[in-house]
Amino acid sequence: MRIALKRLPMLLLAFLLLAPHLAVAQEVPGVSAEAIRIGSFGALTGPGYLYGRLVMNGVEAVFDKVNAAGGVHGRRLTLVREDDRCEPSGAIAAVRKLVFQEQSFALVGGGCSNATLAARGEIEQSGVPFVNFASVHDGITLPRARNIFSTALTSGIESQAQIAYALDQGARRIAVVSMRDAWGRSRYEPLMAEIRRRGITLVADEEVPPDANDATPQVLRVRQANADAVILLLYPKPGAVFLRDAAKFGFRPLAIGQSGIADPAAFEEQVGVPGATARFVTISMVRYTPDSPEVAAWRDAIQAKYPADRLSVFNLFGIGNAQTLVEALRRAGPQPTREGLIAALNTISDFPTDAFGSGITCTPEDGRCNKTVVWIQKPPGGPIRVIGTTTVQ
Amino acid sequence: MLSGLTTGSIYALVALGIVLVYKATGTINFAHGDQLMIAGFLAYTLHVMLGLPYLVAMLGAVIGSFLLGALAERIGFRAVLRSNLINVVLATLGLSFVLKGVARLTWGGISDYLSFPPLVSPDPIMIGDLILLPQQLVVTAGALVVMGLFALFFRLTTIGRAMQATADNPKAARLVGIRVEHIHMLAFAVGAAVAGAGATLMAPLTLLYPDIGFTLFIKGFAAAVLGGLTSLPGALVGGLAIGIVEALAAGYIHSSFLEVSAFIAIMLTLVLRPRGLMGGPPPRRA
Amino acid sequence: MRQPVLLGLAGALALAVLPLVANPYLLFVGNQLAIFVILAVGLNLLVGYCGQLAFSHAALSGIGAYGTALLKVHLGLPFFLALPCGALLATAVGLAISYPALRLSGLYLSLATLAFAQFTLWVFMNWEAVTFGAGGFRVPAPSYPLIGAGLGTYYLSLALAVLLALAAASLVRSRLGRAMIAVRDGEVAAEALGINLLRTKAMAFGLSAFYAGVAGGLQALMLGYMAPESFDLFHMALMKAMIVVGGLGSIAGSVIGAGAVLFLLEGLRAFKGAQEIAFGSLLIAAVVFAPRGLAGALNRLPRWRESYLRRPARDAAP
Repeated sequence: MRIALKRLPMLLLAFLLLAPHLAVAQEVPGVSAEAIRIGSFGALTGPGYLYGRLVMNGVEAVFDKVNAAGGVHGRRLTLVREDDRCEPSGAIAAVRKLVFQEQSFALVGGGCSNATLAARGEIEQSGVPFVNFASVHDGITLPRARNIFSTALTSGIESQAQIAYALDQGARRIAVVSMRDAWGRSRYEPLMAEIRRRGITLVADEEVPPDANDATPQVLRVRQANADAVILLLYPKPGAVFLRDAAKFGFRPLAIGQSGIADPAAFEEQVGVPGATARFVTISMVRYTPDSPEVAAWRDAIQAKYPADRLSVFNLFGIGNAQTLVEALRRAGPQPTREGLIAALNTISDFPTDAFGSGITCTPEDGRCNKTVVWIQKPPGGPIRVIGTTTVQ
Repeated sequence: MLSGLTTGSIYALVALGIVLVYKATGTINFAHGDQLMIAGFLAYTLHVMLGLPYLVAMLGAVIGSFLLGALAERIGFRAVLRSNLINVVLATLGLSFVLKGVARLTWGGISDYLSFPPLVSPDPIMIGDLILLPQQLVVTAGALVVMGLFALFFRLTTIGRAMQATADNPKAARLVGIRVEHIHMLAFAVGAAVAGAGATLMAPLTLLYPDIGFTLFIKGFAAAVLGGLTSLPGALVGGLAIGIVEALAAGYIHSSFLEVSAFIAIMLTLVLRPRGLMGGPPPRRA
Repeated sequence: MRQPVLLGLAGALALAVLPLVANPYLLFVGNQLAIFVILAVGLNLLVGYCGQLAFSHAALSGIGAYGTALLKVHLGLPFFLALPCGALLATAVGLAISYPALRLSGLYLSLATLAFAQFTLWVFMNWEAVTFGAGGFRVPAPSYPLIGAGLGTYYLSLALAVLLALAAASLVRSRLGRAMIAVRDGEVAAEALGINLLRTKAMAFGLSAFYAGVAGGLQALMLGYMAPESFDLFHMALMKAMIVVGGLGSIAGSVIGAGAVLFLLEGLRAFKGAQEIAFGSLLIAAVVFAPRGLAGALNRLPRWRESYLRRPARDAAP
């Protein structure tokens, strides 16, 4: 026993020496004659899994469809998933593993803003092309890193659109209700910058925590401030609690959501009080809701592959993201290189996907490839309708 | 202030289960919030997905949680209860991870927050100047009913008295012929069943998602400790106190103080009254 | 006692040559390991040796991390000064919270420290002028003589982990260490022996907080990005898991436990989405089948001697 224990470090060392050589040497990392390996990081566990696992499911659905049709230039696409646990150290470990251990050709991913921001340095340094699918923080794509792209709307784009919408609707007394977590802050700060830029004074600035079950005090303050438009920087749950408690007092201002509350039909049920969402509009990152007939094929694909799931907007984020990546891989030609893929991504212009509000356009100057905000609303008793789009330049 | 009462009764419902387990076993079940979450999803499956009546779903959730609690005790906690407190804490934390993972894989792909249809009319009602949602009244009343039932259970039934005896002194309880293992198992099972009832009551207000359990547990734990950990009325008072403190802090200071006010209150209370507001001496541990 | 030390040093040596062969991912995991070891040893001093079931360790490491990073960012203090200052800040806070702790025991202490941990996170998220709020902030890379930032932090962490583990191993055999164990095994008896309860508990809290602060500071250097979620209760649960899986009241156990938990965290990546289930099940299995931790199992080996396990073996009395 004693000898065995003493040898343990040596064995460990031997293993570590061998480990890097176990991967087959390749000319282009992640590309073989048969397959291309795409790495994906995001939350598979913890509360952030919506912005990780579910989006990856959408990516995988696209890959399956492409593979069934013969792949990209004859190569199958495989997705390697890594959990970032929605935190900086998890994201850095996941990215390093995907790049150096799994030899991924390119990366898609990113759900939690802080995690993705923390890994940005790693990604930029590695030079591996990365297309972000769900993190909204502006700092991920700005300043421009040549290998980083995003098919997600950034929080700055949405904030500008929210203010523009409120002013268009004639709002004079604007209030903000926000969450103070990383997600909420990534929207709050650009919103405040936009408010300062336009010289607006907020009439109320309240906070509702993500797990709140009651928002009466916040509602009373906003009502007291006589706000005519409320910008909600909230997840669906606190958002629903806020609108429910507002309805309790008969207070129904124009309520402006963002892509975190992307399914107004589900939101109406979550609020639970009839008519409380009548003046609620929100941003969809995607053009369709999960019930739209236009996405029936994807609905079936998701349900066939993940029987317990239903198609969600999170899946759609991944579907639009993967379609963009696949198009770029096609354009990168039969002998793809990472540089070739980056160049190909930069040629994507007004590319239609089955998900996003309008065409995807990436340029060498701007990696924010999705800039079209789709406004949607669900009148009580009626279906969801698209009431307009705002494209931010 | 009044809105704090509804939130408070949700916390109190959580605290009841925690106190129940503590009274019989002298430990805290860190998975209590997640048992509540699972029960909520069970009720959702029965009521929304299978279309069974609300009361049947509630019964199903209660029975399901009861069995789950008993199973958890048998597999995990029984072996650990005899060793030190931190091992029990860790075992229950382990269970908490497992339950969250299971919920994410089973129900996590349906939507972000599942809405549970309300038991009563969703329209707000007025009582004098007060505006209330009927569902909020249901939760408050439910908390009182559940608490009353358990007070009776402890006073009047043999099993209830045996549970009290075990908590007070396990060795003596064993001497008079009480099977301590069974009592422990029962306590975990009943604690989980209370979570089941609570989950079905509060689900229309709180919505359902895999991570709902932890915040509820923390606040419920806080309520239980404020109330002295061993007292059922204490749990109710503690829960309401925390709900009200949160509402007041959000109303009179700023809403950013809502989250932290409960914790500041706990720290102050424990510094001033180290055994909570209504706590007696601690039960001896097995 | 010598065998665990030798084995530990052999492990450290293996880690020291790791950068020659490993890819950046393994290097990151190795660095994480060194930091986990410091965290686990520090927590074990408080929980395993002194018997105080506190939930403030993750928050204290956060104070060390924020202290280090913010001193650099706001005041431009170089890291070789900022790191010890951050650790001392954590120590001061740890000492401060030990005073109420004297009056609390068991679960009441747990809840009070839990509340403190949540309060600390709230401060990180809301004191935006200083902590930059929930969105976190970038920490500039440290510079070291001769080697790059990544390698430099790696070797610094490794050296501190070895140093602090050895210090803890000798501390628990000192007068203070014995006093801590006496407090754990019975406060009344300890007082009867003339041990100053307040002083002993305060020292345990302060020492443990110092370890947490050093680990936090190193974390800040390694990640280059600070955000409140790196110090939440999930991380507290991880640290608890390290010392219980490793062995309460054992320095060797802390080291082994830190390794085991990290191995699980990274190894369970293979489960893709079911990690939570696998991790939770393994935690339950660990406390059910090895209630005294891996160190308890190791102690049955011939020639493996480490005293002061939580439940002292017959031959372990000093």
